[in-house]
Amino acid sequence: MSSSPASSRGLTRRGLFAGSAGLALLVAGCTSSAGQRRDAAATSRQADALAGQVAVQESLVAAYSAAGAASPALAAQIAPLQSQAQQQLTKLKAAAPSAGARRSASSAPSSTAAVPAGQDPKAWLRAQITAAADSHTAACLAQDGARAALLGSIAAGLRGQAGGLS
Amino acid sequence: MADDGTGAGALKAENQALQEVLAAEHVAVWGYGVVGAALGTSADQAAVASQAAHRDLRDQVAELIDSRKVAPVPAEAGYALPFPVLNAHDAASLAVRLEDGVSRALVRLLDQAAGKATRQLAVGALGAAEVRAVSWRAKAGQTPVTSPFPGLPT
Repeated sequence: MSSSPASSRGLTRRGLFAGSAGLALLVAGCTSSAGQRRDAAATSRQADALAGQVAVQESLVAAYSAAGAASPALAAQIAPLQSQAQQQLTKLKAAAPSAGARRSASSAPSSTAAVPAGQDPKAWLRAQITAAADSHTAACLAQDGARAALLGSIAAGLRGQAGGLS
Repeated sequence: MADDGTGAGALKAENQALQEVLAAEHVAVWGYGVVGAALGTSADQAAVASQAAHRDLRDQVAELIDSRKVAPVPAEAGYALPFPVLNAHDAASLAVRLEDGVSRALVRLLDQAAGKATRQLAVGALGAAEVRAVSWRAKAGQTPVTSPFPGLPT
C-alpha cells in the first residue's frame, strides 16, 4: 500500500516517526532539564507520596504470587506479567530511595496477599492490578517532572496488564 | 501535592509537549486509516475505534493549545510508512508503532506538564493507548504483549 501524497516537510521525507522533531526529543529521556529543575524543588510530601507507591507496588507483586499459588494454571500465564510488575517495583524503589524509611502502614493498599476463598484468582488479580493502577494514577497527578512520568507510565503498563488478563 | 507550574517558562514547556502530542496524534489518525485499509472489512472495527479515540484526543489537545493563543501544529499531507503494510500482520504491527509513538509523546507531556489538569489528560490517554497497544501486539504476534513502562525512553 502506498502512503498518502508526500508533502515537502521533513516528517514525510524521513519516515513516519524518525522525522518528527518533537518525538525525536524523546530519545533524550524523560528527565528533561525543565523536569529536573522541578524535581530539585520537589517537596518532601511528594517524596512521601512516591514512597507510598512503592508499598502499593510491593503489594501488587505479592498479589501475583498469591494468585499463582491459588491457581497453578494461572501461574504460568501470569509469570511474565509478574516479572514486569517486579521491574516496575525496582524502578520505583530507585526513584524513591527513602521508601523504606518513609513508608507508612497507612499508605499500603487494603488488599491482602491471599486470594479470598471462593473468588476466581484471575478476576481477583485483575482487580488488584486495576487498584494499583488507579493508585499510581492518583499519585501521578500529585507529582511533577520525571516522577509524574514514571508513575504515569507504570499506571499505563498496569492497565495494559489488566486488559491482557481479560 | 505538586504545585502547578504557572510560570511562563513552565507553560511554554508544557505547550511544546502538547504540540508533540498533537503531532503524534496527527500521525496516529492518518496511520489508522492505513491500518483499517489493510485489515479490510473482516477486522477493521478495532482500527475504526482506535482511530476515533485518537481523533478525539487530537481535537481535545488542539483546542487546548488554541485556547492558549498558540497555533496548533497542523497535520502533514501524508506520512511515509516505516515498512510496507501489505497484510493484517503488517497492519497490526503498524498500529503498535502508532500507539507506542503516542505513548512516548504522552510521557514527555507528563514530564513537562505544568498543571494537574494536563497531567490528568496525559495519564488517562496514556493508559488507553497502552490498552490498545496490548491488543495490537497480540494481533501482531509480538511477545510480551504488555510493556512495564509504556512511553518511557529505554
